[in-house]
Amino acid sequence: MNEVTAFWMLAAISVLGALIAVRKRNLVHGVFALLVFFVGLAGLFLLLLAEFIAVVQILVYAGAVGILILFAIMLTDRVTGRDAFRVTSRGSFWGALISLAVFLVILLPTIQDIPTIENPTPKETIVETSTVKQLGIHLIKPYIITIEILALLLTAALVGAVTAAQGGRASENEENNK
Amino acid sequence: MTLDLIKDILLATVPLLIIFPTMFALTTWVERKALARIQNRIGPNKVGVPLTPYGGKLSLFGLGQPAADGIKMLFKENIVPTGADRLFHFLAPILSLIPSMLVLCFLPLDFPWLNGEQNSVKAFMLDGAVIFFFAITGLNTLAVFMAGWASRNKYSLLGGMRAIAQMVSYEIPLVLSAVVVVMIVGSLNADNIAKAQEGWNWFVFQPWGLAAFVIFFIGALAETNRSPFDLPEAESEIIAGYFTEYSGFKFALFFLGEYIAMFAISGLAVTLFLGAGAGPGVESLSWLKIFWFLTKVCILIGVMIWLRGTLPRLRVDQLMGFAWKFLLPLSILNIFVAGFAWHIKDANKETATSVVVWIASIIILYAAAKGLDRVNRAKVKPRTYQYGE
Amino acid sequence: MTLALHHCLILAAVLFCIGLLGAFSRRNAIVVLFSVEIMLNAANLNFIAFWRYGTNPELLHGPLFTLFTIAVAAAEVAVGLALVIAVYRHFRSVDLESLDTLKE
Repeated sequence: MNEVTAFWMLAAISVLGALIAVRKRNLVHGVFALLVFFVGLAGLFLLLLAEFIAVVQILVYAGAVGILILFAIMLTDRVTGRDAFRVTSRGSFWGALISLAVFLVILLPTIQDIPTIENPTPKETIVETSTVKQLGIHLIKPYIITIEILALLLTAALVGAVTAAQGGRASENEENNK
Repeated sequence: MTLDLIKDILLATVPLLIIFPTMFALTTWVERKALARIQNRIGPNKVGVPLTPYGGKLSLFGLGQPAADGIKMLFKENIVPTGADRLFHFLAPILSLIPSMLVLCFLPLDFPWLNGEQNSVKAFMLDGAVIFFFAITGLNTLAVFMAGWASRNKYSLLGGMRAIAQMVSYEIPLVLSAVVVVMIVGSLNADNIAKAQEGWNWFVFQPWGLAAFVIFFIGALAETNRSPFDLPEAESEIIAGYFTEYSGFKFALFFLGEYIAMFAISGLAVTLFLGAGAGPGVESLSWLKIFWFLTKVCILIGVMIWLRGTLPRLRVDQLMGFAWKFLLPLSILNIFVAGFAWHIKDANKETATSVVVWIASIIILYAAAKGLDRVNRAKVKPRTYQYGE
Repeated sequence: MTLALHHCLILAAVLFCIGLLGAFSRRNAIVVLFSVEIMLNAANLNFIAFWRYGTNPELLHGPLFTLFTIAVAAAEVAVGLALVIAVYRHFRSVDLESLDTLKE
């Protein structure tokens, strides 16, 4: 099995996963399809020799984000996770049309430039230069400010999420009065 | 070339697929025997090997029990509830077995017959093996939720949600206690971690290693839903939790997955803290490496069984409080202690200094544990008993 | 035939548009969040592909940017879902078309 076969298989898995996630009526089924998409993409990253990114993809998306979404579904929808009787929104036809147009616009330069970008670096160089150690050194040396800002952002998101989801005392009293 | 690849894959995976399921079968027997002894019973002692077709058998302390159980499980009826989501009900047991089986290949079990070959499949040589381990173990949670949700049963769903909450919470102290070892070794590669502990330099003999090992072991118990953290399958509260609606072979798959996950996480504990394959006589005979590794895993499993027989189950609020208010701060403090201890030792290599650092770190960690315990317990009043006069 | 840059780019474009389609055509707020995630992941695939087939792979721009995107996406999901829960508490629904009280 060579690289291209593996690529097509993983591509099929991720496209199918994404399509089902977006179109499925049952939300819980949708989340699991989304997880299939994430894992397929992790496989693609592995194929493109970005090993650490593949791990992080599984750890963050399949592990954390998936479970977070499941929790949100369990807290908002009914237990069965069924969507409302009408799935699509008003004007979904125009939405489909716009996304098709965007697809063509993105595709155009890609197809035009195929002959010019054909200079892949050999595998060995990539494997040697993309170890976890190298990534760590890059994160600590040139990108130190970015990573600090990210830490700040994550903390802010944590606090913000807790306050938003907790809902404050006022709204709780309101509910009790009803 | 393809044939070589297939040979390599078989050589690397077949031993794992033989060793661990065999250990699973034996462990179920040992567990039943040990629990029975703890509870003052005898346990399974009848099933043995039949000698002739007309009777007469070798009872062997009931060692035939696992085989009999396996046959029973295979032939039981497969019941799917009417309201259940059939696809997910079918997928959940498989999905719970796959991650546990997959992570076995990240353990540094170096089979000697692979040594001479360049292209042998060794997943633990991956650059980020330890993170891979945690990432894939995290997928177990999803299988548990899938089982709980697909059964369309209140108790199953409750068990599934409990399992998610518990596994997500205990994953954090688990990973943070492993961070210490990764930080000291400077590598996520399981092989490098094993090499750093050769001889008797096991990390469990360091103060921070000891603390991290204890935290890791508690986290591992919770992650594999073992007693005293077996709330997702608490019989007295929610029947059997997420596998209430499972029977026959699907139940057996859950059971197998749970035990393989136990072996895998014990294997990781052995790799990180107990010196992987290190032990007496390893230099002369390379097979002893595997022997010592599996022995250590078995000892940890034995401790798990012992704890199951000894400790009562936690309450849900105690469970969450313990993870977030006790283990998490302690494991973060442990990272700092490890950093300081390592730097002082690096600067000053005398024995006296290292002894002082050892004692000081143990005292700091113990005091922190005591303090956290006191803070968390402050609101609980001592229970007063009333007796009939 | 070996794997080349344009394979990955076309795949990323397809995935991005699936995400766009979902964001435009679904009413459930949680599904719209899914779709945004799919679009972000498609962008990550592009980063990695350009790193793998681009000129200076030793600078590790692709993986580093992907790491940052993943961190930002995680924060976004956490806040987004918290908002969905807050909205649900207020309106008893996560249907985006029922959240039109500003029109009145």
